[in-house]
Amino acid sequence: MIDALAAEWLKLRTLRSTSVVLGVVGVVVGLMVLLAWYAAHLWDTLPLEQRGHLAVASLPELANWLASLCLAVLGVLAFSGEHGTGMIRTTFTVLPSRGRVLAAKAGVVAVVAFCTGLAAVLVTSAVGRLIIGDRPIRGQSAEALSRQMPLFLAMSLSMVMFALLGLCLAAITRSAVAAIAALVAVWYVLPIIVGNIPAPWNERIGSILPGALAGQLAGTGNPQSLGGALLSPLAALAVMAAYVAAPYVMAAVLLARRDA
Amino acid sequence: MIEVRELTKRFGRTVAVDGLTFHVKPGRVTGFLGPNGAGKSTTMRVILGLDRPASGEALVGGRRYDRIRHPMREVGALLDAQAVQGGRTPLGHLGWMARANRIGRARVVSVIEQVGLAGVARKRIGGFSLGMRQRLGIAAALLGDPGVLLLDEPVNGLDPDGVRWIRELLRGLAAEGRTVLLSSHLMSEMELTADHLVIIGRGRLIANTPMRELTAVREVFVRSSRAGELATALSAAGGTVTAEGGAGLSVRGLDPTEIGDLAARHAIPLYEVTPRGASLEETYMRLTAEPTVEGVDR
Repeated sequence: MIDALAAEWLKLRTLRSTSVVLGVVGVVVGLMVLLAWYAAHLWDTLPLEQRGHLAVASLPELANWLASLCLAVLGVLAFSGEHGTGMIRTTFTVLPSRGRVLAAKAGVVAVVAFCTGLAAVLVTSAVGRLIIGDRPIRGQSAEALSRQMPLFLAMSLSMVMFALLGLCLAAITRSAVAAIAALVAVWYVLPIIVGNIPAPWNERIGSILPGALAGQLAGTGNPQSLGGALLSPLAALAVMAAYVAAPYVMAAVLLARRDA
Repeated sequence: MIEVRELTKRFGRTVAVDGLTFHVKPGRVTGFLGPNGAGKSTTMRVILGLDRPASGEALVGGRRYDRIRHPMREVGALLDAQAVQGGRTPLGHLGWMARANRIGRARVVSVIEQVGLAGVARKRIGGFSLGMRQRLGIAAALLGDPGVLLLDEPVNGLDPDGVRWIRELLRGLAAEGRTVLLSSHLMSEMELTADHLVIIGRGRLIANTPMRELTAVREVFVRSSRAGELATALSAAGGTVTAEGGAGLSVRGLDPTEIGDLAARHAIPLYEVTPRGASLEETYMRLTAEPTVEGVDR
C-alpha cells in the first residue's frame, strides 16, 4: 500500500491539471483579498449613517464554497485523466490491485485537498482581517482567528469530501464531463432547487446537502447560505462520511468488475 | 513462460477469443499474428489481468498476473504507446512506475539511456512523436528487467534505425533466456525477428509452429538449355515439374542436390538452381484466408 501511495503521489504531483487547479484556488484567495480591500474602501467612503447597511458575505465561507468546486475537479481529473488517455491500463498493469489503486488515489487526493483547503480559508481569513481591520462590516466575523479554527477545520473536511466525491464519480462514470456535471449539480443547482421547495422540507433537505455540512459540523449553523442547520455536529460528520463512502464502495465494486 | 488455456472472452454477444490455448516458451521470440479483430490485443489484455475472461485462464510464470506482487519485475508490457499523459516527462512517467514496483532510480535513468531518450528525459511527453513514445513504452517494459515481455505492435512509428534496434534488442533478450511475445502486422519484420509463430483468426488458434516450417523450401526453380530433357528426367525421378517460361522449370519433391546430381548423370547443363521458400506473408495470407469450419458462426 505504501508503494501504491507513493506512486500515486508522484503521479498527482506530476499531473499538469493538479497545478492548474491549485493555481485556480490561489486565484480564488486573491479574489477574496480584493473583495476585502473593496469592502474596506467602500466602508471608508460611505457616509456614517449608511455604513450600517453595508453587508459583505463571509470571506472564508465564500473561499470554502469556491475552493470546494476546484478541489472536486482536482479529484475528478486525478482519475478521469487516466481514462481519457487509456493510461488506466498502464496503471493497472503496474499496480494490478484495483482496490489498492483507488485507495491510494483517495489517500493522496484527500491529503492535498485538506492542506489546500485549510490554507485557502486560513489565508483568506487572516489577510481579510488585516485589510478590514476593526471596521465592523456586517457579515464579517469579529471573533479571534483561533476561535474560528473549528469552523475552518470543518470546511477543510468538507473540501476533502468534495474532492473524494469527484474522484469516485470519475471512477464510476469514467468521464470528466459527466463527473463534473454531476458535481456542479450537487454544488450549485441542487441547493437552489431545495431552497425553493416549501417549508419545512427546504430546511430538512437543505441540512443534508453537502455544502451545508461544514457549518453544522462546527456548530455554527449556516446563517448566510441556503442550507439548513438541523443536524448535530456528529450527525453532520456521519452524513459527510456517507457522501464519501457510498460512491467509494460503488467505484471499488465497478473497478473490480469492469474490464480496464 | 506464458500459458493460455481454453481462454474465452466475450464482449456482449461478440466472441473475441474462443477457446484459445497456446504456450509461449522462454529463449525465443514468439510472434503473435492475426488479422485485425482476431483477438490478439484482447488475449494480451487478459494475460495482463486487464480484461476478465469468460472462461479459461492465462498464467505468467505459473501465476495469474494480478497475483504477482511486483509485476513489472517479472513481466514487461507495451500495449499502447499513445496511452500516456502528455504533461509528464519520461523521468516522471517511469518514476512513478518504478516507485510502485520498488525499482531504483538508477534503473529509470539507465533504461531511458538504453532506449535513446536521454536527451529528452526532462521534456514533456506531449511533444513526442509516435516513435519516441514507442521507445518510452519499451523503456517502461524493460524497467523491471523482467523475464517475460509482451509487446503489442512495438515497431509502429519507428524509423528504420529504430526497427533494426528493436529487432536486435528482442533477439538479444530472447537469447538471454527470456520469454518474448511480439505482435506485429509487418510480416517482413516478423520474419526477421520471430523464431516461433502463434497465428489466430476469429479468436481461434490457426497455427502454432516454428517460423522455419512456415517458410520452408517448397520448390526449386531450375533453368537449363535442355529443359525438355531435364523435365523428363526429373519426372522419372519422382519430381513434379511445371514449365516456367522457355528454359525454366519449377520442381517440387526433389531438393537442389538431387536435381544437380540427376542433371550431371544425364550431362544436362544447368544455368540456375534456386530453392524457393514461401514468404511468411504468402503463408500468412493463405492461412488466414481459409476460415476454419468450426470458426464460422459460433
